[in-house]
Amino acid sequence: MAGQSDPHISLFSAEEVEFMAEDELIEIVPNLRMDPLNFICGDFGPFLPQIATQVPFWLAVALKKRGKCAIRPPQWMSVENLTQVLERERESQGAFQVLPFHYVEISRLLFDHARDDIPDMYMVRSLIEDIRDVRIHKVETSLEKFSGTSAVKIPNLSAMEVNIIRPFVGRALQAFYKHDNPEKIPDVDRASSAQTRAANNEPRMIMAEEFYNYIQVSKRFFFFFWFAAATEEITNHFQPASDEGTSVLLETLFGESYLVPFSL
Amino acid sequence: MANYYNIDDILAEEGFVPVVFHKAANGVVIDPSSETNSVEQGAKVELPLWLAQELYLRQAISISVPACFSQRTRLEIQADAACVDLKSRSPYFYEFGCKIAPLVGDKTIEILLLSAFKIRYKEILTKAYTAVFTTTSKFLTLLTKEETNLYEAAQASMAAFKKWRMGGPRLQRASVLGRKRKPLD
Repeated sequence: MAGQSDPHISLFSAEEVEFMAEDELIEIVPNLRMDPLNFICGDFGPFLPQIATQVPFWLAVALKKRGKCAIRPPQWMSVENLTQVLERERESQGAFQVLPFHYVEISRLLFDHARDDIPDMYMVRSLIEDIRDVRIHKVETSLEKFSGTSAVKIPNLSAMEVNIIRPFVGRALQAFYKHDNPEKIPDVDRASSAQTRAANNEPRMIMAEEFYNYIQVSKRFFFFFWFAAATEEITNHFQPASDEGTSVLLETLFGESYLVPFSL
Repeated sequence: MANYYNIDDILAEEGFVPVVFHKAANGVVIDPSSETNSVEQGAKVELPLWLAQELYLRQAISISVPACFSQRTRLEIQADAACVDLKSRSPYFYEFGCKIAPLVGDKTIEILLLSAFKIRYKEILTKAYTAVFTTTSKFLTLLTKEETNLYEAAQASMAAFKKWRMGGPRLQRASVLGRKRKPLD
């Protein structure tokens, strides 16, 4: 992505994945009265004290920092649910449990900003860390098994986990492909456009089955200008969403990742 | 032609291959110890791959299997691929093999490469993500450039994730603003 010192390692840095995670909707309980906010991504409706509203995460964090709301942790973040998930993760060797796509980033953001809003915070935190460790371990063991195939499909993997293994698996697949088929050595030019990618009959890696991603940056600009400037990140390196259908694939094509988002 | 400017590709072609000349060549100093500046027909010399490729196209030479793919190496790889020091033979072992295979007409090279890579890849995988720097330094010297690439990619992404997890300030002070300097009079 833009601004990276070494773009060949991975297309997204961890901060960028977090940035994209902040688009998820979350419930807040405001303590002020405010008119509806009209953004490009949608309208978030009049804020009345003690009435729960759904807002994007970045808005929730910004309001929380100014002391104007209390964030309600999402449903999946209860101790019972997480213990259940952890148990099932430990039992099933190959499969991954269904967790929200951005659970790592959301949980980290909540711990940083909304500590007092989560009941049993330390328990929840340790559970999530355990879940993450188990899952990463599972990913590694499953990667060991595959060899020489040209497509890897791992359902139910979360965004941050995908981002961690993306450069490695991308290059490994490329190397396997090259050695299996030495005549057709692919062109690894990163600047190549989508047309050349589609034309090449190269193996693809589909990492997660169900997830969605919005690439909207300009609405954040409007929000921050309106709120008289926070000092958060201001990035403008995403390209506008294309008008594809509703399916979104995260494809790693020989170390080159791209998200094909769907428009609103 | 994306590989034309690729440094790894250029360096991979630097490896030497033994060739046998079919035609005599004049005015070339291939063998520094010979008195005349020419190579006779039937002479055996070591040429770099980029030169050998061109001469092969002109049918002036015939290429034989280079030393790094000799029987001894194959036995070593079959014994235990993970511990073979491929870097000492050639830091571009795999690319070299891929380029050599069509020239020499040896089908077994590809299979050898693939199997060796599979085994070593597993080793890289296990070591990359759970690295402790002291233990893996010896292992790193065994890897070719391609494998080191893999390894470093995994390491970098894991390190970035850990750094992100620690938190800390989202903005970093630019290094240019490092030290205050006294104004010169």
